[in-house]
Amino acid sequence: MTAEKNQNRKIVKDSDFDLIQAINSGQADKFHDLVKRYEQKLYNFSLRMCRNPSDAEDMVQDTFLNVFKYLKNFRYETKFKNWLYKVAASTCIKKRRKSKFAPDKELSLDEFLPNDEAEKPDNVPEWAMLPLDKLLNEELSGVINKTILELPKKYRVVIVLRDIEGFSTAETAQILNLSPSNVKVRLHRARLYLRDKLKGYFENDP
Amino acid sequence: MTRDCHEHQHCLEMFEKLSEYIDGELDHATCDEIEKHAKNCVACFSCMETLKRTVALCQKVEDQAIPREFSKKLKEIIQNLPKTTTPL
Repeated sequence: MTAEKNQNRKIVKDSDFDLIQAINSGQADKFHDLVKRYEQKLYNFSLRMCRNPSDAEDMVQDTFLNVFKYLKNFRYETKFKNWLYKVAASTCIKKRRKSKFAPDKELSLDEFLPNDEAEKPDNVPEWAMLPLDKLLNEELSGVINKTILELPKKYRVVIVLRDIEGFSTAETAQILNLSPSNVKVRLHRARLYLRDKLKGYFENDP
Repeated sequence: MTRDCHEHQHCLEMFEKLSEYIDGELDHATCDEIEKHAKNCVACFSCMETLKRTVALCQKVEDQAIPREFSKKLKEIIQNLPKTTTPL
């Protein structure tokens, strides 16, 4: 990178900026503070990406080791959290390539189109109208987590980053090296898949 | 609302854009169009509300606690890392 480009480079000073500066300035023992800050979030992201806790633990461990390895090269061009999830997503993809996974199934928009039988014309279902806190319980959380795990990975990672981790479309696109329109397409299909499963869950609820 | 109505171009166009609508990623004119359509099409309105609720539920799902043993193991691994970060 030229000196001029370096001067024009935008630095993102987020809440992790000082800690990373300290680690990269020789206080490597502070890396543990960074791990403490993110281990919980990263563990849950990994649990949602892998299908069992043991794989999730491996993913978290590998992610932090990669973060330590590459931290000196972190250029503050994005929030550290976004870079961390980029490393995590890439760790997850690399692990997957090494194993014998079947290719991701494509979800077509057509399969989610409401039809006359499934969608009653004269009302909105109760589960969409009740206050959220009256609706969400441990069982429903379990149904949501299980359904997310059923999604093909390329859709799952998008709904997890957008709707659970709270990243924007632009941030998700950057983390996954996708175009924003691709993120939107995958997110919409993932949400429709989850919506269909929730509909089934509530319709079968005695 | 019939299946025929849902095959109507307007319904299909709205169906494709529902997530962007919920996320506030559409321009005002398109939002107005969707809202106007949803007022007159209960199935589309229902679809919109159930999708909104799906997103809201996802946002509220609680995280699991990290197992203590694993957190301890991570700490040990970190302690054994080199004492400086090195540029590659």
